[in-house]
Amino acid sequence: MAVEIVMPRVDMDMTSGRMGRWHAPEGAHVEKGATLFEIETDKAAMEVDAPASGVLKFVAASEGDVLPVGACIGWIVPEGESFAPPPEKADALPIARPETSVLPNALWRGRDGLGGPESSQRIDQTQMGGPPPGLPHDSPSKDGRPSGRPMGGGEVVGERPRATPAARRVARERGLRLESVNGSGPRGRVQRRDVEQGGAASNVHRLWLQRGEGAPIVFLHGFGADLNGWRPVHRLLPETLPALAIDLPGHGLSPLGEEASFAALVEAARAALIEEGVGAAHLIGHSLGGAVAATLAHEPGVKALSLMLIAPAGLGPETNAAFFNGFLQADTEAALTPWLHMLATDAAALGSALARTTLRQRRERPLVADQRRLAKAILAGGRQAIDIRGLLPTPEAPTKIVVGLEDRITPPHQAEGLSGLIALHRFAHVGHMPHLEARREVAALIEELVRAGQRSQR
Amino acid sequence: MSARELSYAEAIREALGIALEHDERVFLMGEDIGVYGGAFQVTGDLVERFGEERVMDTPISELGGAGVAVGAALTGMRPVYEFQFSDFSMLAMEQIVNQAAKLRYMLGGAVNVPVVFRMPTGSGLGGAAQHSQSIEAWYAHVPGLKVVEPSTPEDVKGMLLAAIKDPDPVIVFEHKLLYKMKGATPEGYYETPLDRAVIRREGGGLTIVATAIMVHRALEAADILAKDGIEAEVIDLRCLRPIDKDAIVSSVKKTGRLLAVYEGVKTLGIGAEISAIVAESEAFDYLDAPILRLGGVEAPIPYSPILEKAAVPQVEDIVAAARRLAHGEV
Repeated sequence: MAVEIVMPRVDMDMTSGRMGRWHAPEGAHVEKGATLFEIETDKAAMEVDAPASGVLKFVAASEGDVLPVGACIGWIVPEGESFAPPPEKADALPIARPETSVLPNALWRGRDGLGGPESSQRIDQTQMGGPPPGLPHDSPSKDGRPSGRPMGGGEVVGERPRATPAARRVARERGLRLESVNGSGPRGRVQRRDVEQGGAASNVHRLWLQRGEGAPIVFLHGFGADLNGWRPVHRLLPETLPALAIDLPGHGLSPLGEEASFAALVEAARAALIEEGVGAAHLIGHSLGGAVAATLAHEPGVKALSLMLIAPAGLGPETNAAFFNGFLQADTEAALTPWLHMLATDAAALGSALARTTLRQRRERPLVADQRRLAKAILAGGRQAIDIRGLLPTPEAPTKIVVGLEDRITPPHQAEGLSGLIALHRFAHVGHMPHLEARREVAALIEELVRAGQRSQR
Repeated sequence: MSARELSYAEAIREALGIALEHDERVFLMGEDIGVYGGAFQVTGDLVERFGEERVMDTPISELGGAGVAVGAALTGMRPVYEFQFSDFSMLAMEQIVNQAAKLRYMLGGAVNVPVVFRMPTGSGLGGAAQHSQSIEAWYAHVPGLKVVEPSTPEDVKGMLLAAIKDPDPVIVFEHKLLYKMKGATPEGYYETPLDRAVIRREGGGLTIVATAIMVHRALEAADILAKDGIEAEVIDLRCLRPIDKDAIVSSVKKTGRLLAVYEGVKTLGIGAEISAIVAESEAFDYLDAPILRLGGVEAPIPYSPILEKAAVPQVEDIVAAARRLAHGEV
């Protein structure tokens, strides 16, 4: 039985993905579960595993192609089986909107009498790291359209955000992403003032990973990272928890202003939260973002209902200054990869595409220059210039610190000697990235902490 | 010198009188423009002042009259031919479009056709379907013609004098509802450019580009809108060929919103050109709302006064459209 390979939807808000590298050439035998190809969404790069074992055939996408979610990018055909993919459906079925006519055949199962496709099975991968346990098997509805696909209801697959030309121009000029701006116009159209109001006060890119009722989780990433690094652990959290992730200045899509200082990072994060109407939050910060989270919690403006510091900076003077230099100097995949591997005991937890994504982002934005300026401000003579120990006397909100005992960036022993009311979670065989290396455990800790924070709020 | 007020019709008459006085090559042609004084009493007493040889009644043949005018222009005369209604110019299309507009081009610049066609136009006087049309966009589609549509006494006088002096055929559309409208009009000879729009009212909220009587309706609408805090910039397009792209583009860059208001049938009309100019220009990146057009309905102009009014944009229509634009409802 041939299995169709489709552009997977790996995020709630994903409508299209850019093909990365194939890990197997056409005609090669692939094993179910082995990495088959990489994709780059507009948010992150990730690997996708083969949904079945067999021969990779009818490859319909190559590196760099941008395809809507659900588009067919190839087939896996069992050894020895003859198979022909179903013909293009565009001429076989009525497609109302011209936008959808660009869809390759993947959205359509085979039709009666065409042969072959009846024996095919649709795979919809919803998570990275392997095919999902339950295969959503879309059966065509009466009109020939598969049910449950993003075809109806006004949504257009692969559509750009609805925005006026003026809003687009202002967003372009300010380096803002329209996806992160709430449109006030008809049908949610982003207008110029939305961008100006959303971006003028704090030029900080942020993204609601999950909208919902109540105080959100706020994710603050570490040095050199961006908000996308939270997606793997966020995916493990219940959908009932609203979550907002921030790109700190000089990272991701947030430009670094004139002032390159730790205080400027805190101020930017606070401004973004206030603009988003977040007055109280469960603050979760990693490394440099941990120091930002602790400082935010200590200062007025945003009330911390709970606080999680993951491998936080600012608990002691030692750090790995060589890492900062090497990370920022490396300008090839080969040069960057060893430095990234220093972050985790199991490099696979980082994903193989991280180096390429990082280098691509550096080409598109002045991240290296910004991060060099920041590094100067937060490191003094190769030691940490930030000190958050004084901000953590007796915590007012439930607080957890999560460290990996193999951390080669911020020594884990720095987390000792704090208030006994602060829970310290020490993971063996984990490096500087517990939220990736031990993401399930960290997700469970986040849930537990948020519940505690919600209780203490009452 | 304090502003002297003339009606639009008086301003035209004054311009024609000055031209007849200053340039002996100038003469007027048209049906009933002599003793009768013109269908809308525009030429008035000019026949008494300048005689029947220079204010010439012509037979009821627009094709013949326009042909004579084009021929006279080819010999170096400066004829001004009045149509009773722009609708009737369809009978003279051959002379206007195929001859006047083409001859300089086809003869390699060896001749000019300095003829002026005056065309009373538009609805509002109960003239019914064959006497009320707004067909200026038809002529504006023809390279070789210049097409203007002045909206004030000052402009119609200056543009008419500029048109008579111009070496090429010029069509002057005169909206019938404007004839009695009064306005400050400078004395003596002056010319108003045939290729420049003018900003009648400045504002930052939205740009309204209007023609002829719609300029006045847009200005009235702008006063109402100002009470809501919506400051409309009103551009009087004045010239349809050549069209003043810069005026439109720079205004839309300022306001980010565009409403085109014209009396001709909406589809494939002046508003389409105005919209396209913006869409193709650097102003595109400044648009903060879709472009809106208000034009005539897709039907002949009705005879019933109520329906006639409903067939073309009125002040309240402009107010409503501008509000929707300014409030981001479209």
